[in-house]
Amino acid sequence: MNTEKILLDHGSGGKISHALFADLILPLFDNPELSCQDDGAILDFEPGRLAFSTDSYVVDPIFFPGGNIGDLAVNGTINDIAMCGAVPKVISAGLILEEGFLLKDLKIILESMASGAKKAGVKIVTGDTKVVPKGKADKIFINTSGIGILPSGIHVSGNNAKPGDQIILSGTLADHGIAVLTAREGLSFESDIQTDSAALNTMTRQIIESGCDVHVFRDPTRGGLGTTLNEIAVQSKVGIKIYEPSLPIKGSVQGVCELLGFDPLYIANEGKLICFTSKQDAQKTLEIIQKNEFGKDAAIIGEVTHTDPGVVLLQTAIGGVRLVDMLTGEQLPRIC
Amino acid sequence: MSLKYVEEFRDGALAKQIIKKILAVSKKPLRLMEVCGTHTTSIFRHGIRSVLPKNITLLSGPGCPVCVTAQKDIDTFIHLCKQDDVIITTFGDLIRVPGSGSTLGKEKAEGADVRVVYSVFDAVHIARENKDKQVIFCAVGFETTTPTIAAGILTAAAEHIRNFCIHPANKLTPPALAALMETDGIHIDGFILPGHVSVITGTHAYKDTFEKYQIPSVIAGFEPVDILNAILMLIEQNEHNTPGLQNAYPRAVSDLGNIKAQKITSQVFEPCDAVWRGIGSIPSSGMALKKEFHPFNATKKFNIQAIDTPEPAGCACGKILMGLKNPTQCALYKKKCTPMTPVGPCMVSSEGACAAFYRYN
Repeated sequence: MNTEKILLDHGSGGKISHALFADLILPLFDNPELSCQDDGAILDFEPGRLAFSTDSYVVDPIFFPGGNIGDLAVNGTINDIAMCGAVPKVISAGLILEEGFLLKDLKIILESMASGAKKAGVKIVTGDTKVVPKGKADKIFINTSGIGILPSGIHVSGNNAKPGDQIILSGTLADHGIAVLTAREGLSFESDIQTDSAALNTMTRQIIESGCDVHVFRDPTRGGLGTTLNEIAVQSKVGIKIYEPSLPIKGSVQGVCELLGFDPLYIANEGKLICFTSKQDAQKTLEIIQKNEFGKDAAIIGEVTHTDPGVVLLQTAIGGVRLVDMLTGEQLPRIC
Repeated sequence: MSLKYVEEFRDGALAKQIIKKILAVSKKPLRLMEVCGTHTTSIFRHGIRSVLPKNITLLSGPGCPVCVTAQKDIDTFIHLCKQDDVIITTFGDLIRVPGSGSTLGKEKAEGADVRVVYSVFDAVHIARENKDKQVIFCAVGFETTTPTIAAGILTAAAEHIRNFCIHPANKLTPPALAALMETDGIHIDGFILPGHVSVITGTHAYKDTFEKYQIPSVIAGFEPVDILNAILMLIEQNEHNTPGLQNAYPRAVSDLGNIKAQKITSQVFEPCDAVWRGIGSIPSSGMALKKEFHPFNATKKFNIQAIDTPEPAGCACGKILMGLKNPTQCALYKKKCTPMTPVGPCMVSSEGACAAFYRYN
């Protein structure tokens, strides 16, 4: 398989397509719904509210320290469902492959998807594979959609932040964005920074089951913490104040940000959540998050205010205050 | 990788002590100019303006390399990217800077081969790997950036890489300070001098300007404690009428600077008159390639005539860079000119005064 490549025939729907599914995909994703090989998966859910989400993954490079596009595609959609307060159950996987893509790389990515889904207790029940001519896509694009079940009485939403709420961040900032950046061609950093890509559905379930008064869950992915907090401030029509000294960030990540002139507030995370809770439940929620395998560095980083609706302010270490605006365009490295 | 000398200089308690001292010492209304764009960003990021007394005004000077790059140079970069079989390599900030009709980013979307690099050596490497293309590097920046560009040219010369060249638009800081002091209507009570530039030039590079104008001047690092300390020193110099040239960044800046970097620069470049965005021509403030390196000059290689384009109407970048206006006094600010639709370069670069005002105020 080392030199075998994806051919246009792999997406033809014919014998080679079927062989790819039967020999590679089905054994890895193995579950009864997928094994039926019908046009769609038949799902048996109790009546009630569902959460449904979709996301596409086009990360470059596709392999980066600590993960690959497959991990992201599974964890990302699981997290989108989990941030609705739901328990993710099933996801779909649509693959768009570039002609000439190495089969061994596809296998690694599919294995990551399978193990990620298994670890999170989610099944990949339906999917699709298309192949486009060389140059018409960049190696591999993945779309995943997911469905989760909402426990009764749960209403978490970006609209629900309330003055007085405490804001908890589940771990260190900017690990994923910087890990991907250091793996990009032309940037020859040597560092130990790895992606934080992780499924957070266990963490959200533990918080919800504790009965803590949670108002908002959100994962600060593209655009980073700064952009996500702005979205919530606008949605909920509240002010948000965060405290710079409380923001958890690894020294190595801070170092790369300093060198390149990046603000870690705007760098993507793929295994972190922010959680708004009422003041009286904040400490209990923090302790639950810190006990989770992905939350040991969690901290209370700020609060919701009555003043300045729609605005996010940062209190700096020296006691100054400044605006945290939404990200404008892609952050670019500085010159000197 | 871990950063030394960062945590110590972000220490909240230490910063608050300095702020207390500033509040106790400061009596006169003062206008202090941070010359460097990295200082501008740091001042906003750490909320330094919000902790200073009302009588201290900070002005952002001509120290953001993208902001001072003349429109004619931007237009030249754009003209070059439209030539056949070329690859334009550039620092990221330049991609969005509007020329008179386009940007490098828009040309990229139209099919031009424009690549963001992090160092001139990436551009040299691209030339090594693409022998059938001419690889042009957009050379902007101050004394900090010029030595590595010179080293890139020396590398290309040693390896006989003939498909690599630059459009030189590098600039020097001390002549700009002198030009500022000669400008009508200027009111500056002290300079926060750039830390990175001074690492290369050393303190002595500012001695002539200081001796001529006797303006309080302090070289500063980039962390909040560094900047607050420099502001305190400038206030003390003003309050006691004891103007001086002081180095508040001795952990990085020496009197003579980085001699090796200076030698590499002077091996490849020589001073020339240069046009600064919004300010105009400043004598001996630019860097031209020496004659023996003319084969690496894109303008000569592509036989490009000087492009002379006016700056956009209404844009106050020039006055802002000289401390004559602040961004909110520009008629275009937050109306026609935003980070999404920048008119002037001060709104594009992450180190531009207008972008910093927009983002953090």
